[in-house]
Amino acid sequence: MKGLRSVILVLLKEKKDIVLSIICGFIAGITAIGLFSSSGYLISQAALVPPIYTLMVLVAVVKMLGIISALSRYGERYYSHRGTFTMLSNLRVSFYEKLEPLAPTIFGKYRSGDLLSRIVGDVETLQNYFLRVFYPPIVIVLVFLVTIFFTAFFSVEAAVIIFIGLLLTTFIVPALFGLRQRKVDQKVRERRGQLSTDVTEFLYGFRDLKIYQQVNNKEKDLLQSSNNYLEEQERESIHQLFSESVNTFVSLFISVTVLAVGAYLVTVGELDGIFLAMLVMVSLTVFENTTAMAAYPSHLQDSRQAAVRLDTVVNDEEYQQAQNNVETIKQGIAPSIEFQHVNFSFPGETRHTLKDISFRLPAGTKTAIVGPSGSGKSTIMQLLLKMYDINDGDIHYNHQSTSRLSQESIWGNSNVVLQYNHFFYGTIKENLELAKDGLSNVEMENVLRKVQLDHLTLDAQVLEKGENLSGGEKQRLAIARAMLRKAPFWLLDEPTSSVDALTESQLYESLFNIAKEDTMILISHRLTGLEKMDQIIVIEQGLIVESGTYEELMNGKGYFYQMKEIEQSVFMGQ
Amino acid sequence: MNKLKEMMMEQKSKLVLLIILAILSGLAIIGQGYLFVIIVDRIFLKGYSFTEIMPIAVGLLAVLLTRTLFNFLSGRTGIKMASTVKGKLRKTLLNKFSNNPLQASLEGQSGQKVSIMMDTVDEIDSYFSSYIPQVIQSSIIPIMLLAVIFMEHWTTGVIILITAPFIPIFMMIIGFNTKDKSEEQLDKMAAFSGTFLDTLQGLTTLKLFGRSEQQKEKIKKSSLDFRDATMEVLKVAFSNSLALEFISMLSIGLVALEVAIRMIIFQDVTFFTGFLMLILAPEFYTKLKDLGSAFHTGRTSMGAAKKLEDELAEMGQTIEWGEEELPHQEAPVIELNHAGFSYGSDTFSLKDINLMIQPYEQVAIIGKTGSGKSTLLNMIAGLVALTEGELKINGKLRPQLSEKSWFDNLSYISQDPYLFSGTIADNIAIGSKERTSREEIINAAKKAGIATLIDSLEKGYDTPIGEAGRGLSGGEKQRIAIARAFLTRPSIILFDEPTTGLDLQTEQILQTSIKELGKHSTIITVAHRLHTIKNADKILLLDDGKLIAKGPHADLLKTSETYRNMVNVQQGGAAL
Repeated sequence: MKGLRSVILVLLKEKKDIVLSIICGFIAGITAIGLFSSSGYLISQAALVPPIYTLMVLVAVVKMLGIISALSRYGERYYSHRGTFTMLSNLRVSFYEKLEPLAPTIFGKYRSGDLLSRIVGDVETLQNYFLRVFYPPIVIVLVFLVTIFFTAFFSVEAAVIIFIGLLLTTFIVPALFGLRQRKVDQKVRERRGQLSTDVTEFLYGFRDLKIYQQVNNKEKDLLQSSNNYLEEQERESIHQLFSESVNTFVSLFISVTVLAVGAYLVTVGELDGIFLAMLVMVSLTVFENTTAMAAYPSHLQDSRQAAVRLDTVVNDEEYQQAQNNVETIKQGIAPSIEFQHVNFSFPGETRHTLKDISFRLPAGTKTAIVGPSGSGKSTIMQLLLKMYDINDGDIHYNHQSTSRLSQESIWGNSNVVLQYNHFFYGTIKENLELAKDGLSNVEMENVLRKVQLDHLTLDAQVLEKGENLSGGEKQRLAIARAMLRKAPFWLLDEPTSSVDALTESQLYESLFNIAKEDTMILISHRLTGLEKMDQIIVIEQGLIVESGTYEELMNGKGYFYQMKEIEQSVFMGQ
Repeated sequence: MNKLKEMMMEQKSKLVLLIILAILSGLAIIGQGYLFVIIVDRIFLKGYSFTEIMPIAVGLLAVLLTRTLFNFLSGRTGIKMASTVKGKLRKTLLNKFSNNPLQASLEGQSGQKVSIMMDTVDEIDSYFSSYIPQVIQSSIIPIMLLAVIFMEHWTTGVIILITAPFIPIFMMIIGFNTKDKSEEQLDKMAAFSGTFLDTLQGLTTLKLFGRSEQQKEKIKKSSLDFRDATMEVLKVAFSNSLALEFISMLSIGLVALEVAIRMIIFQDVTFFTGFLMLILAPEFYTKLKDLGSAFHTGRTSMGAAKKLEDELAEMGQTIEWGEEELPHQEAPVIELNHAGFSYGSDTFSLKDINLMIQPYEQVAIIGKTGSGKSTLLNMIAGLVALTEGELKINGKLRPQLSEKSWFDNLSYISQDPYLFSGTIADNIAIGSKERTSREEIINAAKKAGIATLIDSLEKGYDTPIGEAGRGLSGGEKQRIAIARAFLTRPSIILFDEPTTGLDLQTEQILQTSIKELGKHSTIITVAHRLHTIKNADKILLLDDGKLIAKGPHADLLKTSETYRNMVNVQQGGAAL
């Protein structure tokens, strides 16, 4: 059961449903056998012309057993499915719970289409775990044991044969087929994952595929993966059907053996002929349940692989961060920030993204970090948000080291605008409400006006990833969200790169108004509008080149000055 | 549903095979019943010796073997049918998705479409792999059984004839109900996929806002909704089989009672006949019950089929293309006459655009955010169908052009280029049609100013980059896209804010590259930067979906006040 441990743990939360399923399953199985054996006995009795009341009693028993059997079968199905689906829901949530702390680092490794196929497909697969793997063998073995016990009263030989049949149909035949099934199954899942990834990529990258006329190629690839998936699916189904057929035949063969042995015992006088029909009926009925066992190994294998795959996503050690983050920062107060000789390289990369970075930002000051793209500006912000652990040095918030601070307390105190901000399928209002609880419509409308998005109503629809908004609109919506949050520490990563210049300068004005008392870091590649900043840090290739106020840097005629020169000359049309 | 029948009829030979197999199975079932009864009867009452019944037992085994074999073959045929159909459906869906204009791929959550392609199509499976074989078996075998029962003991036949019709009636009553429910369940499944993908992609945002806990609740809720919907469907299915169980139980009881009474009181029925009835009657009801459960899965498949049909019926405007070829590597004249496009009745639209772009002109489209710049670019690119007016290329209407020849001549660098899973080299080479040498790729990367960065990576050009280019910054993604354009050497280049997020130095590299591209191409740029704008031969100023000014920089400074304001701010308020 290796790999299934986490699933079993989740499953065992639904104890009541498990127990009820087993009880109902057992009653249904045993009464069905009772029903058919008593009708076999009934007909044999009838042949001997017994008194009418014997017959009436038997008929009544047959009827009662039939009704109990049908009802408990219903109960078994109901409870087992309810348990299963509650378990699935718990599984999804527990998967999300485990995944959540690993974001955003984990997204570099797994493509979200693949994640989707994992969570939806693999979790769906696990529904078979309880339904077909966990409890049915328990029920089958219980029913068999009682049946064998009952049969032994009439014929020990028949009981032994049925026992051998149990071993064959429940353990040996399924195990034999299970060995080969493994390979087939694994392929089906792989191919399904591949197809799902291809489909996701096709839909998300459609525009670029179209422009580069790759739609047809991608379509071919996709059809190929679709065919591969179908082929494997078909192979799996046929293999399963075949093993079911073999198992059915084995169980029928056992019944014929019971009949033959019974017949022999009757002829030698060791068994009363009146029980022969009954024994045949018992054997035929008890083996009806074992047909399903043919599929057992494949379900077990399915479940195990699904569980393992789900586990590998969330238990990847590479992404487990040491969590000794017990301290929190004071909320609602503009923090001071200090970088002390910080070195950093991304996991799996040898190149240092940041080298020996040191700077100090007093509380309530406004700082711009400028530099070419890829120089490490955004990384500074990611480290400030504790999205990665630093290699050397230390980062302090109000003299508290981030290594001991919890991520949540840092985030709770920050207004963050990323380069790419996610917007959820829903309305503008729903997306703004992420900022804070208890926002009034008026507040939200005011902020929309401030970022010049008043052409959007709060009820306007936002498509997935904000696809129906332009780049500039998305950025302004992200700024609006940050404004609503009203935390005292602002982290803005190129917040207006897609906004036109006129709007940009107005946005900055609103931002500075709102953030008067707050600490602010603005990451920018544009050099306009930086005159008001308290400090400008220029960074290139992971190193701080220079820093100071706008005037100081301009007077120093260093790197910043040169960049500004280029900017000016370009703007002036040379 | 009709679609399913249509697809079934396309596989007539397999249907015939299923019918033959069903008849053979029926014969095996009857033979099996007879042989069982003969053995018990001869041993129990007739006093035969064991050796005398041995050949019959062997015969019984042979019959059982053929019965399992026929069942296997029938199931196998069904599985094959299902495979064929699923393959066809995926192909049709794919065709639909790929022929649809850009707009359609933005509407609705892509997660839902993935779910339709994967899960909904898979749900069709059971219709062919279990429903159809079962329906065929259940309509042939019970009739054969009934015929034998009538021959042997007609009163049992009468009892069965009276009770049996209740089964299909119940099935119909319950089945119709299930159909709606199963559609509902599929909807929930799709909604669940969508929410989950959206949540995953927005997890960083959620965490920064401290909202991941709430999102967990949302997942839990949609997951439990999914469970409840599924349970609704299943409950119906279970009570369906409960009802069928009761009916068959009652009927078998009646059969047994009647036979027993005849045997004891009237003594006009032999043990042989009685036992045979007792063995054949359950087979009869089992086949009908099997039909019941198959009926249920069949219904679920029909729900899925309906959903697929709806998806296929949801046709957006398709973009038409013709046969006319464009001259290769020769920039055309582009002309828009009263052209317009609107996303929908109440949303944004672009109206009455008139303009003419000469070959090798450098055009800058400017305007406030949301004024329609990107839409204009999409219109010119042929990525959306005009809702009014016309677009002419070299005097010919755009829909007359061949799609291939148009896109061969066109390159488009969007705001948010999609990077496909694969290596950096693969991603750059996606722009060219023929096999591209590594040398050409490196060359293109150099021109796009990204070669240094790629060289600094451990695996260089073979570095894998993930979905949506995770791991690359925005500027880097765009430079990859620009490198793509360098490979194709198109005669028209469309840039949608090409320098967004890039620093000045890289921008300078690009300026040079673009200038070089411009020697052989018409370049239409959505621009925010004044230097791009000033160098343009023609500036198109958009405001609220209308073209309010066009002309070179010097002209617009004189004629347009809006333009003058924009220039002022761009230069940090410096006087001109």
